[in-house]
Amino acid sequence: MTSRQTAIPYLLILPSLVLAAAIIFWPVGSLIEIATNDVNRFGQLKGWNDFANFSALFANADFISALWRTGLWTVLVVGGALLVSVPVALILNEDFYGRDIARVILMLPWAVSLTMTAVVWRWSLNGESGMLNSALMGLGIISENVQWLASGDLAFAMQVLIGILVTVPFTTTIFLGGLSSIPQDLYEASALEGASRLQQFRHITLPLLKPFINIALVLNTIYVFNSFPIIWVTTQGGPANSTDILVTHLYKLGFRIGKLGEASAVSLIMLAILLVFTIIYVRLAMKEREA
Amino acid sequence: MKSRFLKTILTAGLSLAALTSVALAGTVRVTVAEYSAKTGPYFAEAEKAFEAANPGVDIQIEVVPWDVLLQKLTTDIGAGSNADLSIIGTRWLIDFVKQDVAEPLDQFITPEFKDRFIETFLSPSVMDGKTYGLPIAASARAMYYNKELFEKAGITEPPKTWDELKAAAEKISALGGGVYGYGLQGKEIETDVYYYYAMWSQGVEILDKDGKSGLGSDGAIAAAKIYKELIDKKLTQPGVTSFSREDVQNLFKQGKIGMMITAPFLSNQIKEEAPNLKYGVAAIPAGPSGARGTYGVTDSIIMFKNSQNKEEAWKFLDYLFTTDMRAKFTQGEGFLPVNKEEAKMDYYVNNADLKAFTDLLPSARFAPVIPGWEEVAQKTSDALQKIYLGDVEPDVALKATAEEINGILQK
Repeated sequence: MTSRQTAIPYLLILPSLVLAAAIIFWPVGSLIEIATNDVNRFGQLKGWNDFANFSALFANADFISALWRTGLWTVLVVGGALLVSVPVALILNEDFYGRDIARVILMLPWAVSLTMTAVVWRWSLNGESGMLNSALMGLGIISENVQWLASGDLAFAMQVLIGILVTVPFTTTIFLGGLSSIPQDLYEASALEGASRLQQFRHITLPLLKPFINIALVLNTIYVFNSFPIIWVTTQGGPANSTDILVTHLYKLGFRIGKLGEASAVSLIMLAILLVFTIIYVRLAMKEREA
Repeated sequence: MKSRFLKTILTAGLSLAALTSVALAGTVRVTVAEYSAKTGPYFAEAEKAFEAANPGVDIQIEVVPWDVLLQKLTTDIGAGSNADLSIIGTRWLIDFVKQDVAEPLDQFITPEFKDRFIETFLSPSVMDGKTYGLPIAASARAMYYNKELFEKAGITEPPKTWDELKAAAEKISALGGGVYGYGLQGKEIETDVYYYYAMWSQGVEILDKDGKSGLGSDGAIAAAKIYKELIDKKLTQPGVTSFSREDVQNLFKQGKIGMMITAPFLSNQIKEEAPNLKYGVAAIPAGPSGARGTYGVTDSIIMFKNSQNKEEAWKFLDYLFTTDMRAKFTQGEGFLPVNKEEAKMDYYVNNADLKAFTDLLPSARFAPVIPGWEEVAQKTSDALQKIYLGDVEPDVALKATAEEINGILQK
């Protein structure tokens, strides 16, 4: 009886495990195979090559700077999105006239495909005929067209802002769910004791929202770290690779230049980074809960 | 429950197997690049007409956006599920030949068939004496200029040399009002080519006689300095590194730039999108020694070695390269004729725009046939972007890049 009971859960997850294995482990397996072999540009393997693909990557200055920039990109976009989303969620959680419309408007960017959003931004940021320049000019804020995407620094800053903009809807949705799970009587009780709004936020809202912030942090980090369309559409990682992150660097290596071995190595490194991040984070979150 | 699950997996697997083995007798799958909205309908029509004339042959056309074509072919060939025929950029051909996936067509080519082509366009598809592809699309570059801006600035005729171009650009930029003399491309595909126009006019080639990169030579540095000077004196549109070829073409269509170098298809676009624009097409400016160069490009259609229906596939190729079929395609897309008979048609003979392009053909350079060409192009574009931004001096950037390219070429 007991042995059957212990077997049942495993049996029940077996189908999804098989499915997961087929769509996760199998491709990862062939990735490892390609990354450790000498490969021609059509993916045909030419034999084991002593991790030459990996050493070629670490000797490549463009890869190293893309690695650092990916970290910066992830921290800025995820951090920015979290900072913006908390107040936005708090406001949308209040009862005010037109709240439903405000919620819909905020969610809209989420409904548009990321690539399409990026294409629209590329047009808007065009130096000579872009909307942003003509709007700023009309408002009298600038007197000369700004070339938003011409230099790496400014282009990257704009990409981070676009990244934050498209990450906010998802993050806000998670926070709204979290806020609605906080019982209203906590606020009433604390108000009776004379707590200010700020104290309520610090001692009630924030602690109870923490698990939701954690989820948003982990999921957004994974999405943003891997996010391809914004950077690819606006600058293709240029000028002179100065806005490349790992995933755009990978695409160029694999499909422009035809170094599939090195490209596979990049994607394994990305997988490893995300895996380590997730494990550390889950550990930390678990520990906190036990304490 | 469990057996049903197994059954689903099995049937899914079987249908997948069935999908990959659709190459029944008489089926010819063709991967074509989508050059414009007219490409799909053209091939659909060709398929219909060919199937009607050849019962038992089933042509299946897959239209793929040009940007993802190489990616699709890479994955298809890797998985062994490639089509029988495919359009490819001729500059990729050497990789296909080296990896032994392209079938030589000489067994099918008759002298009559070979005679249909203009030699200049067929030769890039010939390697080691074997013809591996047929030029399905051909193009060259020439300089477009805005007649209205030229008139306003008091310039009577298009510049013949780079010095004259600079003088003309100064006059046009002086008009003010968001108008610039020379449109300079500094982003995305063919950023390197836009610089080669200046480099070729200095008598420098992409690869010198010994097969080494020409970028480190004095002429190449002088060419980069010409462009840098144009940028510094504000004779180009500002922020060149954020302008792809299409972006510069759009500025031209809006009448905001005086001159730019691009392909024949801009004429077709202007006809549809900016019919009131008064423009002319002229030769690419020459250098001090009178040298000049345009970029010739062909795309080839190739047959894959693993094709099961080579006879039928060849028949379809033969049909595509008849004069009428070629004329319909070339005129729709705005390419240059590759077929001798076709080039004699009134459409081409009486077309002043196209004449400027065909006149330049003797000075046309094609992308060098070397493995790793895409990487060389990428490195060159990166160096140019740094020069245009002013991050690195032209001589430093180009000499370093020449070293890097020589390293790539030695592999």
